[in-house]
Parts: sequence; C-alpha cells; structure tokens
Amino acid sequence: MPAEFVEQRRRAALEAYEAEPVPTWRRSGFWTTSLRGLDLDALEPKRYEPVEELPQIVRDDLGDEEHAALIVQHGASVVYSHVADERITVMPLEQAVEEHPELVEPYFAKRLPYDEAKFAAGTAAFWTGGVFVHVPKNVQLEKPIQVVWLIDEPGTAQWAHTLAVVGEHSECKLREYFIAPDFEGQALHAGAFELYALPGAQVDLAHYQDWGRGEVYDLSTRRVEVRRDARVKWVPIHLGGHLTKQRLDIITAEPGSDMRHTGLYFTERDEHLDLFTSDKHEAAHTTGDTVWKGALTGDSRASYEGLIHIIPKATEVDTYLQTHQMLLSPKAKGDAIPSLIVEVDNVRASHGGTVGELDPDQIFYMMTRGVSRAEAVRVLVEGYFEEVVQRLEDPGLEDLVRRRVAEKLHGAEDQVREFIGERAEAT
Amino acid sequence: MTLEIQNLHVRTEEREILHGVDLVVKRGETHALMGPNGSGKSTLANTLMGNPVYEVTEGRILLNGEDLTEADPDERAKAGLFMAFQYPATIPGVSVANFLRMAMNATREEPIKVKEFGQLLGRNMDLLRIDRDFTSRYLNEGFSGGEKKRAEILQLAMLQPEFAVLDETDSGLDIDALRIVAQGVNEMREPERGFLIITHYTRILGLVHPDFVHIMLDGRIVREGGPELADELEEKGYEWVREEVAAGAG
Repeated sequence: MPAEFVEQRRRAALEAYEAEPVPTWRRSGFWTTSLRGLDLDALEPKRYEPVEELPQIVRDDLGDEEHAALIVQHGASVVYSHVADERITVMPLEQAVEEHPELVEPYFAKRLPYDEAKFAAGTAAFWTGGVFVHVPKNVQLEKPIQVVWLIDEPGTAQWAHTLAVVGEHSECKLREYFIAPDFEGQALHAGAFELYALPGAQVDLAHYQDWGRGEVYDLSTRRVEVRRDARVKWVPIHLGGHLTKQRLDIITAEPGSDMRHTGLYFTERDEHLDLFTSDKHEAAHTTGDTVWKGALTGDSRASYEGLIHIIPKATEVDTYLQTHQMLLSPKAKGDAIPSLIVEVDNVRASHGGTVGELDPDQIFYMMTRGVSRAEAVRVLVEGYFEEVVQRLEDPGLEDLVRRRVAEKLHGAEDQVREFIGERAEAT
Repeated sequence: MTLEIQNLHVRTEEREILHGVDLVVKRGETHALMGPNGSGKSTLANTLMGNPVYEVTEGRILLNGEDLTEADPDERAKAGLFMAFQYPATIPGVSVANFLRMAMNATREEPIKVKEFGQLLGRNMDLLRIDRDFTSRYLNEGFSGGEKKRAEILQLAMLQPEFAVLDETDSGLDIDALRIVAQGVNEMREPERGFLIITHYTRILGLVHPDFVHIMLDGRIVREGGPELADELEEKGYEWVREEVAAGAG
C-alpha cells in the first residue's frame, strides 16, 4: 500500500499541474526559454525490466570506480541497485516509502512545494521509481554513492525524484549522473532532487549531466538544505542537453553551515541552457562560495543567473558569487547575471561576472612557443575550466569531465579557429 | 645562418609605426636595440614573432633565407625564433612545468623523455635560482614582475632557440635579479645562437656585452655602431641622438 502522505501529494499536484499552462520563461526582455518545440503528449514513462549487468553507456561513464552504493533508473523504472556498504540505505524511493516511512516522511518534499511551478507539480504527480538515500548518523563513507538516470529511447518521459538525507556528523560523496546515448527524437527528464545535510554532516555532491545529441529536455529543480555546522560542496556539471531549464538552490539554514557551489557548463550545436541558482542564507554565521564557469560553441544559447539571498535575521554571513562565461563561436549567445538580495546589515556579500572571448594575447603568446592555434585554444579552455574540475576532488569524475570537454573542443575546432582567426584579423 | 629584417614597414589599424627597418643578426652575434619609449622597439619584436595586431605593409623577415613575413607565430617558433615578452600573458590552469613540456614537444620530433626533461629543468632552475615549487604554479598567474621575467628566461633556456629576442627583459628588475637573468643569457651565448636585446637602458649592456648597438627613433634605426655607442648614449642621452638626427636631416 503506497503511503498516504505520498498519494495525497500526488493528487494535489496533479490538480496543480493540470491547472497550470506550459510555461515560457522570459527575463530582461530578450532572454526566452520556450517549450514550444516539445510534444509532451507524445512522451510516456517507459518501463524496463531489472538487469543484472549495467548498460554499456553507464559503465563507460562510471569507469571501474568502487561505490558504496549504485542505483540506476532507466526511463520510469529502477533497473539496477547494489548497496555495498550495509550501514546505509539506498533504494527506489517507491520502495522506501513503503518499507521506511519513518525515515522518508520527515523529509519528503520538505523543501519542494509541489505548487511552485508547472513541472514541479508534474514531477510531484508523476514520479516513478525514484531514489532514496539515507546515511545514518556518524557514518563516514569513503566510496561514493552513485545514482544514474538513463534515457535511451526517444518518446521517454522520465519523472524523477531523489531524496537524500545525510545524518548528523556523517560524511559522504553523492554523485548523480544524467546520461543518454545519441538518438533521434524527443525525451523529457523532469526531476526533483532534495538533499538534507543534518547538523555536522559533510557532503560532497556532484551532478553530471550529459544527455547526448538527442532532443532531451531537462526541466529540474534541485534543492539542498545545509543544517547547523554542516558543509556541502556541490559541483553541477552540464555537458549536454537539447534544452535545459533548471533551478538549483542551496540553503544554509542554521548557524555555522557552509556551502561551496562550483558549476561548469559547455554548450554546443543548438543547445539551450537556462540556469538559475540561488545561495540562500537563512541563518547568521553561514558562509558561501559560488563559482560558475561556462563555454559556448555553435549556435548554442546559455544563460546563467546566480542569486545571493540573505534574509533579515541572517547576520554575519560571509558569501560571494562569481560567474564567468566564454564565447567560442560568433553565433553563440550567452548571458551571465549575478545578483544580490541582502535584507540585513553586517554581512559580507559580493559578486562579480565576466562574459568574454578567448584573449588573443594568450593565444599569440602560446603560439610563439610553437603551439598551434587549435592546441592553444584547447589548453586555454581546459585551463579555464580546471579550477572547477579540481574542485570535484574525484579522479574518476575529473577524468570524465576533462575527456568530454576535450572531445567537445575537438569537435568545435573549425568554428573556434574561424572565430579566433576572424577576431585576430579584425584587431 | 642569419636573421634578416629588410625594409620593414609595419602598421596597426591606426597608423604606421615602423618606416623601413633594416637589421641583420648573424648567428653567434649579440645585438642591442635601444631607443626611447614609443620608438617602435616592441613593435619590431612583436612583428618578428607574427603578432596579428601588427601588419607588415612592406619589406620582409628572413630566417636562414626562409621568408617568415607571413608565417604564423608557431611556424616561426619551429623555425628557431623566440621572444622573451615584456608583458607575458597569464595562462590559467597550466603549470609552468606543463607549459614548458608542451612548448618543448611542439618544437621537437619526439616528445622529450620525462627524466631528461626533469634533469634539464632542474639544471636551468638552479642556474636562474628559481625555487622548485615555482614549476607547479600556473604560468604567470600571480607572478611578480621579476618572476615573470625569470619564467621567460627559463623558457629561453629550455627551448634553446637559434635566435632570441629579449623585449625589455631588464626593465623592472632589481640589480640582483638582473644579474641572474644576465648570467642566464651569457650562459646561452654561443657561436650557433643570435641575440637581439631590446632595451631602454644601458644597465643590462654592462652585464651582457653586445657586439653591435642600434638606436631606434620614431620607427627607424638612426644610429649603429659597436658597444661604445651604448656608452656614448649613457653619457649623452636620447635627446642627443634626436638632435643629431635633426641636424643631419636639416
């Protein structure tokens, strides 16, 4: 019997979902994210049978790193789950709701109101499978907990929900992978992610998204709550997706909580990425550090808006936000906006942003050392991202990101060369 | 076995800066190119390396008879030209050691062996009195002026080019740092290598003795001579050259 607290929310959410029109997001008059091209009615939650062996694409991205637990959702079904460390609970959320309601209910959707947006409501109404991660208190995990969201067929609607609770003074690494092979046709991933880092917990969180060349729409909300003296390091990485509209919020909720949020994106072809992140300080003596770096090639569009929000009672906050964006193609269009809402005195909060191109002086300098233009561009872009990649502190994932960035740059070499060449001649 | 600059006219988008420069540097020779600020010295250095900011409208640059006037900077490096920059660019995310290895491999047939690279690097860093932890820092990121100059000379020592242009390497260095840099350059002087030392001041020429001195003014080389010309300049200043040139023209 499904738990009533879940079913009740599903019913209310379904009503909200049906009442809301499909949104179009507009900002500052010229930036629009539209779902006009998405044929929602043609998508369905495709079900799959459990598998013994991991799919090849999952093996390729995960490498042979050992895990504390690994769980894979394919389309609408959890198809693989393996828990190597008996101290923790990692299972489909559907199952956890039935077997461990006492662990799930206190946190389930606590920070995810179903009625805040159309697709938040959709996810709340339609999620299947799902992932529940529970690390009890005083547990130190060395190996990562890995969660994989796989879509490999056009026509798939994947309504996702991950709930993670990390107990007091526990330490863990949590990695979510969002992957798809290249396919022709449309698919949707609409996700909800919530993480609660309880007092004194230390969580090292990464989201790795590479939806490939298919027409995958990703409409997700991810929210992290950091409690007293807890610390969360969060590295979201966006390396592919036809259209991505995400909201990522990290809330330092109690005194002494600390967050470090470092993101990276690389867009190509006609990809459209629209990210909003917020660093919300709800308590005094909380600290934050947010850095986002992006690069754009092809005809892609990428918009990043980052907000620092400090509410009235949150004095003695120390936080900053930086956003950088690099254009590598004349046809790409980007936008990077840092903003601040500070409702109290006696805090330190600062922000900064740059949108730019590769510096011709750097390219010239490297070329005088015998390095070709293409190689110089590759090295400079990789160097630009290196600060973010190193913050992963995870050799397997670092290698994966470096490899994928290098591949993307290699694919974009001609247009970058043309662009840089044009710039050089224009100066 | 010669770097030849023939009747070089160079302009930026705004205006012509070099109005016909001729200069020949043979291997084994060290030349000093002196001149006041804005005389075109750095333009010449940058044009030699193919900086796309500058356009050659007339004249040629030949290295061992090969015309490099239109060549890309990396082809010039492979042909044996090197410039130590006055204001080198910062390369974030790339350590000094990795940058050096990349540059060495770019101009070699076979990649350098790890052990050979390490030994060579150690020796040159000792020579230039550079701390070991320097090589793991990102190239020029947060470097002091003196560290940047030393990193340039370290590259020169590692890459061993046929012809090296030093663009105001001496400026901004205190006397101890200048001695170390000069010692590095002197160690590299040999019959197979040519140097063009560009400077505003005569100070470095007391430490690296040039065979020839050229004085540039307003985009032209106006006086040429032996090392004694530098001494004369030290004594009388650039105004003296300017007056002489004006008198000669009038």
